[in-house]
This record gives sequence, structure tokens and C-alpha cells, in this order.
Amino acid sequence: MSSAATSLDATGAPPSPRAWLRTPWGLAVVRIAILAAILAAWEAASGRIVSKYWASSPSAIAARLWSWIRDGSLWPHLSSTLIEMGAGYAIGCVAGVGVGLLLGFLPRAGRIAMPFLAGLYCLPKVALAPLFVILLGIDLASKIALVAISVFFIILYSTLDGIRDVDRDLVQAMRLMGATRREVSLRVLIPGCLRWVFTGMRIAIRYAFTAAVLGEVIAANRGVGYLVEAYAGQYNSTGVFAAVLVLVVCSLGLSEVLTRWEASAAEKRGGM
Amino acid sequence: MRMLDVRPRSIAPAAAAASNRVRLDAVSKSFTVRGTHTPALQETTLAIEDGAFVSLVGPSGCGKSTVLNLVAGLLTPSSGVLTYDGAPLSGLNRRVGYMTQKDTLLPWRTTEANIAAPLELACRAVPRREVAERVRAMIDAVGLRGFEKHFPAELSGGMRKRVALARTLIYEPETLLMDEPFGALDAQLKLLMHDQLQRLTQARRMTVLFVTHDLAEAIALSDRVLVMSARPGRIRRAQDIGLPRPRDVFRVRFSPEFGRLHEALWEELKDEVAKGTDV
Amino acid sequence: MAEARADATPGGDAHATLLAQAAVAIVLIVAWESAGRAFGHAWTSLPSLIAVRLGEWAASGLARHAAVTLFEITGGLALGASSGIVLGLVLGRTVTLSVVLRPFIVGLYSVPIVTLAPLLILWFGLDMMPKIVLVALSTFFLLFFNTFAGVQAIDRDLVEALRIMGASPREEFARVILPGAVAWIVSGLKIAVPYAFAAAVTGELLAARDGIGSLLAAAAAQFDMTGLYAALVVLMALGTLASALATRAERWLLRWRPAAQ
Repeated sequence: MSSAATSLDATGAPPSPRAWLRTPWGLAVVRIAILAAILAAWEAASGRIVSKYWASSPSAIAARLWSWIRDGSLWPHLSSTLIEMGAGYAIGCVAGVGVGLLLGFLPRAGRIAMPFLAGLYCLPKVALAPLFVILLGIDLASKIALVAISVFFIILYSTLDGIRDVDRDLVQAMRLMGATRREVSLRVLIPGCLRWVFTGMRIAIRYAFTAAVLGEVIAANRGVGYLVEAYAGQYNSTGVFAAVLVLVVCSLGLSEVLTRWEASAAEKRGGM
Repeated sequence: MRMLDVRPRSIAPAAAAASNRVRLDAVSKSFTVRGTHTPALQETTLAIEDGAFVSLVGPSGCGKSTVLNLVAGLLTPSSGVLTYDGAPLSGLNRRVGYMTQKDTLLPWRTTEANIAAPLELACRAVPRREVAERVRAMIDAVGLRGFEKHFPAELSGGMRKRVALARTLIYEPETLLMDEPFGALDAQLKLLMHDQLQRLTQARRMTVLFVTHDLAEAIALSDRVLVMSARPGRIRRAQDIGLPRPRDVFRVRFSPEFGRLHEALWEELKDEVAKGTDV
Repeated sequence: MAEARADATPGGDAHATLLAQAAVAIVLIVAWESAGRAFGHAWTSLPSLIAVRLGEWAASGLARHAAVTLFEITGGLALGASSGIVLGLVLGRTVTLSVVLRPFIVGLYSVPIVTLAPLLILWFGLDMMPKIVLVALSTFFLLFFNTFAGVQAIDRDLVEALRIMGASPREEFARVILPGAVAWIVSGLKIAVPYAFAAAVTGELLAARDGIGSLLAAAAAQFDMTGLYAALVVLMALGTLASALATRAERWLLRWRPAAQ
């Protein structure tokens, strides 16, 4: 049973390399070193071991990305993706909570609806992309629909879980006190399931991002996903990697924001 | 620093030293958690000779479990020397069987698979058919017939304890460490387990170090009872139990000698229980 | 916990629900058919037409397409899961390495893998390979994280208990750590199945000659609504089947888990 590491171990010797690695500085240095090594190897290999055609090179990718930023050609695509995400997310949340509450308050209707919903849920949402494009056109609308339906299911199931999670004893106690059905809904069920709904909403952001980009990859005329697919279609690996890099940066930013949000929410809950 | 010599007087000192299974010499243990220094065991000296059944009784937090962990090699003494069969421990002590308070059954194994676990290990190399027979015998001994294929999650707390007991006894370690093994059992079952434990340990001449809250249990089972004081613990009193062996655990508590021992030890114990900070 | 309803028997309730569900399904289909016939079915097709198309497909080649899709899924799952599990087992034990590499892995994971499909098609061409790799990548991360968490979550007390009994380090691994992680691995596999399915379909939508996704893409390209809906029906059926199998398998493999929530 080892005790926690301290800066000097029991015999007073200076920290071993392992311990140094655990400090924030040590970790950062090693990670940056690893990243630099990978990039350097990539740069060296490109053109020599691997054809520039397939693998491009960090320098070319960086240059392309920089030119996009400088001449402003990136923003219409990026904003397009973000709009699709935002609008679809909003619609999906509202619909999800609405239907969830409805099915939660009418348990019999809920039980009947469950298999239908489950069947729909088993369909990979991406399969709906061509249908939406045909019905709604190649513009943003079809992507918004795709995002909306992806988010809808997440929020729906979160809401249902939340309502189910509300302690039945609590509901019964309120009923005995004389609360009407409406009062029970307002004062117990809705506040009770909120926690689950918020958790679902956080998870759904990631799905919204994936759905938006995926929809663009399948069929679009704008957006970051569109860029990935368009450059791939032209066999332009530099363009593809540059667009993927934008995706990576967005993903990381999104993850970071979500992680912080998750952490602060956990704190408020009392670290449950 | 109190030296407490708990060797039975009937054995000559030199011979006693040679036949000591476990010996603690001024062993103490304290823990440092985030800078705070918590003593768990004060300097303690005790010796347990080969084949003896010794109980440690005391209030919660008095360090009884710490003593067991030290003998098992899970902890090292902060000071003093602990020897097993004359030599100090280096690392985990594999010659003991340890039945902890928390049952450490493998949740994905059935009852019989859990009990068979020690016999499957390479260090013992028991042939398959023999394993099955011994497991069956053990299951009968602890009264779990019919539950062979159950998973731990499907068993009650008391039943899980019995599985753990069976698992510990099946490979007949030379020394047995037991940490309140029968606390969760009802009275009748407890007596049955006492009987089984006694039979097996006496037949195999196992050395047993038994930790319990229950004074009556301690007296009924042991050759010697050590009463420990509240945290930080030390041995307050050692009492030889002269009750003749083999004992009828069902009846022994009605003997007058038992009553006397119980009264005497309870006097010691109840002060410490009152002092104990946690119950 | 559940309220006892004096007026309903459990069996009776389930029966009524089933009947209601059948009724709803029939009503929906009939409504769809009649509305389509009455108001035109250019965009919505008709259940009867879809059924006919499904029949045609079943007679000629549906099985082959389904087999291709399933092969992509299982091949990718096998590849991705095995590498994810191995890496998870290895890194789960070496704390230092996992701490150092963590941000890289989390960073890579946060990129939706399916969106890299065009890149993979660029590299691997139009056959099954890019789909398999896509599925493998998607499942790799899931399985890696689950395995890693599983190894970390092993109760140290269990390891110690076996060690005292005399287990060697290899036996510790084989008898405690590995089985302990299996619960997480199995859960990871169950979660991975829908992702694998989505990845395979994505790959097929983008570029394929075979597979259910290719049927969908072909129908969409020709604005063949009936074919499109028929393909969706097949995908829904496959997805439901896969999900049900995975759930059943998980429940059996992990039947030792305590039922308590």
C-alpha cells in the first residue's frame, strides 16, 4: 500500500524522473515534445516515404488553413455549420422535452409508443440525410432537420428517464396531501426530471455537431463537412486535412466547454 | 511502552520462542494522511504459538484489523519487529488465509467457482477432480447446498460470508486471520459456523488470529483472549482460556467457568468500549 | 417502489398494450395508404408500393447487400474492438504512460470519426476497406475507453485477496483484472454496435456499389422515393435486430451483475 507521492520521498532523495513527469510542467513538456516529434516525422516523410498526394504535409496544411483564414473563405462555411447546429439543437430540445413530458404524463400512451420510438431510434440517423435533402433541398434546412432529429431522441429519452426517476413515493405523498394532477406535475415531476434533461442536453451538443458535419459530408453546398467532402472529391488531400483540422479544433473547443460546464454543474449538485 | 508477555506459563521460554508462529516485538503502526499523523497501534508485544487460537477483542478503531494486516504483510510496522515463523516478513504473507470484513468474492464467479479459486492457482496444483470433491465438501460444511451456481449478487450478506469462509478454509493455510467473520450471521448460524471452524482448525492444527466484537464468541472459540484498548490500541489484558478441548460450542457458554471468564473480561472491555470514539 | 394497482393484472396490462400497439400500427399504415392515394404520393410513396419493392429486393440480391453491410460491421468491430481492448488493457496498467497520452487520445476521440469518411475513401478506395476502417476507428475509441476504465475500476481488494491466496502476477491478471474488465468491455461492445452500424452506412452512402447504404444512395440519386423508403425500412429492421441481439448478449454475459441500480 504506497502512500501518495510527495516532493521528497521518505529517504530524502531528489524526485525520480517518474515523479517529475507528474508535475504540470513536466507533463506539458513531454506532450509538446511528442506532438512536435509526430509533426516533424510527418513533414519529413511527406514527399519521401509517403506521396504528398495522399498524406500532404503539416506545412502545406498550415499554409492552406492560414490562407483560408486570411481571405475570409472559411467563415461562411464555419458559420453555416454552426447555424445548422444551433437551430437544429433548439428544435430538437423543444420537441424532445415536449414529447417526453407528454409521454411521461400519459404513461399508457408512453408504453404504447415505446417500441415505435425504439425502432426509429435504431435507424442510423445518417440514413435520413438523403431523404431530407430530397424533401428540403441541399441548403441548410436539410441539415437542420438532421440535427433536430438526432437531438430529439437524446432529449426525449433523457426526459423519460428523468420522469421515471422521480421518486414515486414523492408523488404519492403529494397526492395524499391533496395536490391535483397539475400541481404534482408542476411541483414534483418537472423539477425532478430537470437534472436528467440538462444532462441530456449536454450530451446532445456533441451529437448535434456530428450530425451537422455528417449531413454536410453527405450532401451540401456549404459548411465544414462540405469542405471535407469537396476536397476529397478533388483528390486534394491538403484541403481535406485542413478542413479536418478545423473540425478538430472545433471539437476540442466544444469538448473543453462541455467539460467545464459538466464540472461546474457537478459542483453545484454537491459533487454527486 | 509496556512489555506484555503473553506466552502460556506452562511452556519453557526457549521452546516457546521456537514454536511461535507469529511474534510482534514492540510493533507500532501509525498512518500519515495528508500530513496528519494518526497512530493506530501503540507499541505492542505479543506472541502466538503454533496451533493456538487467539482472539483479539476490543472497541471499534482499536487497531485489531491493523494487527491482522500487519501479520498478512499488507502493512509494514512503523516501528518494532514482526516475525513469522522466526523470520521477518518481506512483502505479502502467502502462508496465511485472510478472511476480511469486506467479502472479496469475485462477483463474476458462482459460489462453487469462488470457493475453488485458491485450489486452481499454480502454486497448489490440485487436480481437477479433487478440486470438485473438496469444493463440494466445503459447501456442505458451510451449509450452502443448493446455492452452488448462484452469483454473489444473488446471495445474502451472511451467505456471502460463508462462501468467503469456505474459500479461506479450503486450502488449509497454516495460519488463519479472521476479521469479524460472523458478525452478519444470525445466532443459530453463528453457532454452526463456530462448530465448523473449530473442527477444521483443531483437526489441522491451524494457528488462528480471530478478531471480534463479541466477547462470548471469543471465549467460546479461543485458547487465549487479548483485550485491546481504544485507539490507539494496545493490549490491555491477556487471558488464557482454560476450557477443555474439544469444546461443544453449543453448550460451553452455560458452564460456570465460562461465566467467570466472561465477567472478568467484560470488566476490562466495557471501559474501553465507553472510551471508544466510534461505535 | 411500484404502486400496486388493484384493478390491473400485470399480464392483462401487457396484453392490452400489445393490442393497442398493433392497432396503432395498422391505423398508421392504412392512413398513409389512403392519404397517399387521395392526395398524391410523389414524395411519400405508399406502403403497398414499398412492400412490393421489398418483395422484389428480397427475391434478387437483398440478402447479398445485407451480407456486405454486416460484414463491414463485424469486420470493423473485430478490428477496432480488439485493438481498443488491447490498448486499454495495456494503458490501464501503466499509469504514467496513460497520463501522458491522455490529452492526445481524448483529442482524437472528440473528433467525430464518421466525418473522416471522405478521407478514408480517398485513401482506401471504394470497396469495403474504407468502411471497415471507419467502423474500426469508431469502435476503437469506445472500446479503448471502456476497457481502460474497466481496468482502473478493478477493486484492489480483490487483487490483494487473490495475492494472499498465492496468485502470481499473471494469475492476478488472468483471474481478477481481465474478468473484471470484461464487464466494461461487454458494455462497450453493446454501445459500439449502433455506432458501427452508423459508420458502415455512412461509408456506403458516400461511395459504394454494395451494401444496404448503396441501395439507399442509388434510390436517392434517382429520386426513387419508394426505393428510398424501402431501404430505410430494411435499415430500421437491421438496426433493431442488431440492437436487440447486443442487449440480449450483454444481459446474458453479465448476468452476475447485481440488479440494484
